[in-house]
Amino acid sequence: MKLYSLSIIYKGSNKSNLLKAAYDLSSFSFFQRSSIQEFMTFTSALIVERTSQGSRASVKEQEYLCHVYVRNDNLGAVVIADTEYPQRVCFTLLEKVLEEFSRTVDSIDWPSGNPGTITYAALDSHLSKYQNPREADAMTKVQAELDETKIILHNTMESLLDRGEKLDDLVAKSEHLGNQSKAFYKTARKQNSCCEIM
Amino acid sequence: MAESEEEVHVLVQRVVKDITNAFKRNPNIDEIGVIPCPEARYNRSPIVLVENKLGVESWCIKFLLPYVHNKLLLYRQRKHWLDRGALVDITCTLLLLNPDFTTAWNVSGSCPSKLNFRKELLQCGVLYPEKDLYLGKLALTKFPKSPETWIHRRWVLQQILHQFSAVGHSRKQPQGEAAQADSERSQQVSDHLSRTLQQEIKVCSDAACHYSSNYNAWSHRIWVLQHMAKGNVKVFHDELSSMRLWVSMHVSDHSGFHYRQFLLKELITELYQTPPSTTTTCSSQHQSTTVPSISLHHQSHNQANRELSEAEAAGEEERQLSFTTIFQLFHQEMELCSDLIQAFPGHETLWSHRRHVFYLWHQWRREHQNHCSSNGGNDLGHLMYQDPDLLKDSTQSCTGQDEIANGQKHASELMEVDRVSFPDQRDNKRLKRGVPLPDPPTLSSEHSFVGDIIDRCSNPEQRHFALAYKKWLDTVIGQQP
Repeated sequence: MKLYSLSIIYKGSNKSNLLKAAYDLSSFSFFQRSSIQEFMTFTSALIVERTSQGSRASVKEQEYLCHVYVRNDNLGAVVIADTEYPQRVCFTLLEKVLEEFSRTVDSIDWPSGNPGTITYAALDSHLSKYQNPREADAMTKVQAELDETKIILHNTMESLLDRGEKLDDLVAKSEHLGNQSKAFYKTARKQNSCCEIM
Repeated sequence: MAESEEEVHVLVQRVVKDITNAFKRNPNIDEIGVIPCPEARYNRSPIVLVENKLGVESWCIKFLLPYVHNKLLLYRQRKHWLDRGALVDITCTLLLLNPDFTTAWNVSGSCPSKLNFRKELLQCGVLYPEKDLYLGKLALTKFPKSPETWIHRRWVLQQILHQFSAVGHSRKQPQGEAAQADSERSQQVSDHLSRTLQQEIKVCSDAACHYSSNYNAWSHRIWVLQHMAKGNVKVFHDELSSMRLWVSMHVSDHSGFHYRQFLLKELITELYQTPPSTTTTCSSQHQSTTVPSISLHHQSHNQANRELSEAEAAGEEERQLSFTTIFQLFHQEMELCSDLIQAFPGHETLWSHRRHVFYLWHQWRREHQNHCSSNGGNDLGHLMYQDPDLLKDSTQSCTGQDEIANGQKHASELMEVDRVSFPDQRDNKRLKRGVPLPDPPTLSSEHSFVGDIIDRCSNPEQRHFALAYKKWLDTVIGQQP
């Protein structure tokens, strides 16, 4: 039961803008971590771009589940978890983090900010605390049955894309991925097993 | 760009040397991995050492692996010579890249003369077994499932265990100083064994974290306990308790829960032996209670009788303690299961675990209720008594609820009272167990639990699993008297 990344992203009119992110990659092999981090950033940004204002969704990709909430003011957050981690707790976390972030950081900084310029330090400790969902959120068990919020479910990343759009192209163009990661992605796709090679 | 054979040869020589040097420079390397790197950088070694992590750039693997593989096969076919040092380095390299290369490890089954390399090197004393355990541990950081690595690991551990037992049987009746030296040595061996055991558990645990439902890692863990902690109730208890958090954080890891089922079975077997006959002392597996040995030659008949009944009483007490412990184990396991099922709806593994545990309890209770009821005033017999629900039609389970609850409560109270009047007042510590026992799991309580879940859950998978469990209760348990 694990959370891998937690990101706050602004949904701009053309593209999304990463404001702040926290990662826990300790369960990955040491030498993969920087590539994995880049892919998580890439995925999170893409998901926010393709999620409508004021909606929540969960996107499945291999053995990961990416949960996203984009508020009506275009401030969004994505948490990437494994398939065991309870979905409800993820959305509680996203809501909480967005609420706190919007109180701390002025909205004027959202469209153009980046992790270097944004001052919000709590993300790492939230990610760490929520690694154990019950310690972090004792009320979830009670709320689980009451909450009727609608969450859209996507079974693959591809289902977020427009007709004719290819994930490979988006990877190649992405500014979140370094050359090594892009090359690695190409090899893995050829072998049709992204994580096998690792 | 095609590499010429000569270039490959030079490259591989260099890489093998770099790997060997990396281990020399840093004996604390604790992880190996592949660095995603599609192209070689000019004149730079593909071997990277960062902190305690050894990385191999991915571009060179396609050259390295077939070359090294080939070299070993040629050596085996006696077409190519490798000196001892080279053999050690090459097998080491190969195992880090591809541990499922049987030839390199050497799987047991065939006679030793046919098998190669690591085993031979070990048997010749060129390598220490610990080196292979270390190498295996590293290989597992990258290939946590690797069957050959686990198999070889068990072979190496067996070598180590043989060495230990050889030490133990060195002398028959040591006297004086020799006795002291012997007992020191056997203490050292015991410490070493304990350390090795803990190390193995850590290796299994890391591998289980790196790959979910890692059957090979958990099987190894079971093997280790069976061979290195036989009859050691404390180790089993510790494992059961230390695994609670882990399984709570890996609720769909089937192998982790299966391990708990194994631990429960072992504990039940160790804690509860067949009832001792009246002329012998308690089973030697239990914690020692000082029961005087029965020697009819030197005692008067009366004294012998008294000692007999003391032994019987002590045996009976042991059994009660075992019952209590076993009962508590089951209760705690069912509680853990209920807790996780409610907190994390929709995981089949949890329901499957519940089936296993409840079935185990149910079977054990049935097997031992005869013994209990034949033992006159044994109050635990009330707890062990047939599940009251199974005496009537199972469809009446709900209405019988209150009656049963009272009956069970009554049983607990009985236990409290009777314990005080227990004839053997020798050792009050053993008698005092102030905590009243909770209600045992019964068919009725299970139906009540499952009914509650069905009524309240909104998760469709949870509902599906709950219904299946209810059906199982009816068809499997309900039919057995």
